[in-house]
Amino acid sequence: MDTHKERDYEFIIQPNKSWFYFDWKGLSYYRDLLFFIVKRDFYSKYKQAVLGPFWFIISPLATTLVFTVVFGNMIKIPTDGMPPVLFYLCGLLAWRYFVACLNGTSDTLVSNAHLFGKVYFPRLIPPIAVVISNFFSFILELIVFLVFIFYFKFFTLADSKIQPNFIIFLLPLLVIQIAILSMGIGLWISALTAKYRDLIFLMGFLTQLWMYATPVIYPASMVSQKWRIFIVVNPMSSVVEAFRYAFLGVGLLRVDYLLFSAVATLVIFLSGLLVFNKAEKTFIDTV
Amino acid sequence: MPKPIIQVEKLSKLYDLGVVGATTFRDSMERRILNLLGQPDKTRKIGLKHRTIALDDPQAGPDPNSIWALKDISFTVERGEILGIIGRNGAGKSTLLKILSRITEPTEGKAVIRGRVSSLLEIGTGFHPELTGRDNIYLNGCILGMRKLEIDSKFDEIVAFSGIEKFLDTPVKRYSSGMFVRLAFAVAAHLEPEILFIDEVLSVGDFDFQQKCLRKIGEVSKEGRTIIFVSHSMNAIETICSRGIILSQGRVVFEGSQLDAIRCYIASSTENKK
Ligand SMILES: Nc1ncnc2c1ncn2[C@@H]1O[C@H](COP(=O)(O)OP(=O)(O)OP(=O)(O)O)[C@@H](O)[C@H]1O
Ligand SMILES: [Mg+2]
Repeated sequence: MDTHKERDYEFIIQPNKSWFYFDWKGLSYYRDLLFFIVKRDFYSKYKQAVLGPFWFIISPLATTLVFTVVFGNMIKIPTDGMPPVLFYLCGLLAWRYFVACLNGTSDTLVSNAHLFGKVYFPRLIPPIAVVISNFFSFILELIVFLVFIFYFKFFTLADSKIQPNFIIFLLPLLVIQIAILSMGIGLWISALTAKYRDLIFLMGFLTQLWMYATPVIYPASMVSQKWRIFIVVNPMSSVVEAFRYAFLGVGLLRVDYLLFSAVATLVIFLSGLLVFNKAEKTFIDTV
Repeated sequence: MPKPIIQVEKLSKLYDLGVVGATTFRDSMERRILNLLGQPDKTRKIGLKHRTIALDDPQAGPDPNSIWALKDISFTVERGEILGIIGRNGAGKSTLLKILSRITEPTEGKAVIRGRVSSLLEIGTGFHPELTGRDNIYLNGCILGMRKLEIDSKFDEIVAFSGIEKFLDTPVKRYSSGMFVRLAFAVAAHLEPEILFIDEVLSVGDFDFQQKCLRKIGEVSKEGRTIIFVSHSMNAIETICSRGIILSQGRVVFEGSQLDAIRCYIASSTENKK
């Protein structure tokens, strides 16, 4: 008779496990590892940066400054009547979190090849860690942004235009959406780069193009009806516009667009999980 | 009778030696376009001409340049046993451990594992040079499958075992290579899974430290832990294992007591030399 509680642990190793086999138990077992990887990532990023923790603040501000001078003052792209600084900071807040997560998760398999070849832990841990550690940078940028809103609202003439509203309560959902959307695409790219190593070189290009396709520099309200479809099919557009609506009270906020973007996000995320899960199992043989 | 803790049934692993495999998007597009144009596939031809594995090689796989790194491996390990695996370079020992520790999938066959596994295919996996010794103990411990609480409770022991107390809060990049190895071993030696896979990792430390580790492994096994131990050191196999398996060209060619396995292995290698 079995006196050991063996069955709790029994694990079967077999070729071609189903697409839908996920190591959920392992994911929960290795949560301490997740914590330490987040800590490591955050720490090493902050060590590497020239100005340490200030880098988290200076980098979005510098981008905002460039945008304000070039697109706001020189080219004079309208900003929905908002002070350009606030307009760009707000769009960048959402966009930068998205890009940071996308870049971090898209080379999961390749950059962790060394670890993955030597020890087993659920391969989803590193991409989840990326999303979490970037969340902390997001929070820092959010605080900077709030300081700017406060300044513009109470110390400038733009005060009456800036109207934060109850949509702010949607913010946690929007942030989660950015996280899983970027992770979904990152997992897709990860799985593809496992097979085609040169795809990673297209990443910079892809994120650049995507930013121009998203209302970060310009308001969605400026996009003519003819081109509106591109705003709708891009799940990030509705998120960026919802951010602006929540904090500033301007922007294109439509429930149908938001719903579409949420559904697209889910589809991308779930399919990303599946392809990544499949690619991960034998990826290490071809490194 | 309790079921064996590890049960391996006809496990096989096919490796592509990587002449044909598409590794870049460009390559694969090029090939596809050439195919469309009706031109013969250059890469495939190269693969056929430069067959690195002879057709009559016992390890030759179905495709040219594919190789059975493991073929129909079957064995069982009972709870508390220490199984030694010996074999020449390229026999498939590391491949076997990689499959059992879920790093890669087998091509055929099945293995059932009935317990919590940790594998030591390398020491210091995941050490980060910028982090201090203390942080690395936690990170590495978690990577190897320990929980934070478990590391907390063994922390002092680990530090004492490594003998680097003074440098605990120094970034690991400032360690000498020996200190690094010691710290990494100290973490690994305090793993307490039910099943432990060890691949040729003890050879890096100095002699004293090796002895210390072997003793520690011996102690661990008395507590009922199951170990599969791969080594080229017959001495180590003899002292800590209770059973031995010889792998040759991806197949099990001998299974028995560790002493018989060693004798058989040495006999076969001297025979080949003649
Ligand atoms: N990722 C891989 N792709 C292709 N072939 C591989 C791969 N990994 C291992 N092999 C092949 O599989 C065979 C077994 O290799 P393995 O590393 O298991 O040998 P080993 O018994 O551990 O040898 P050693 O004593 O040198 O460590 C070798 O012929 C090797 O060339
Ligand atoms: Mg080996």
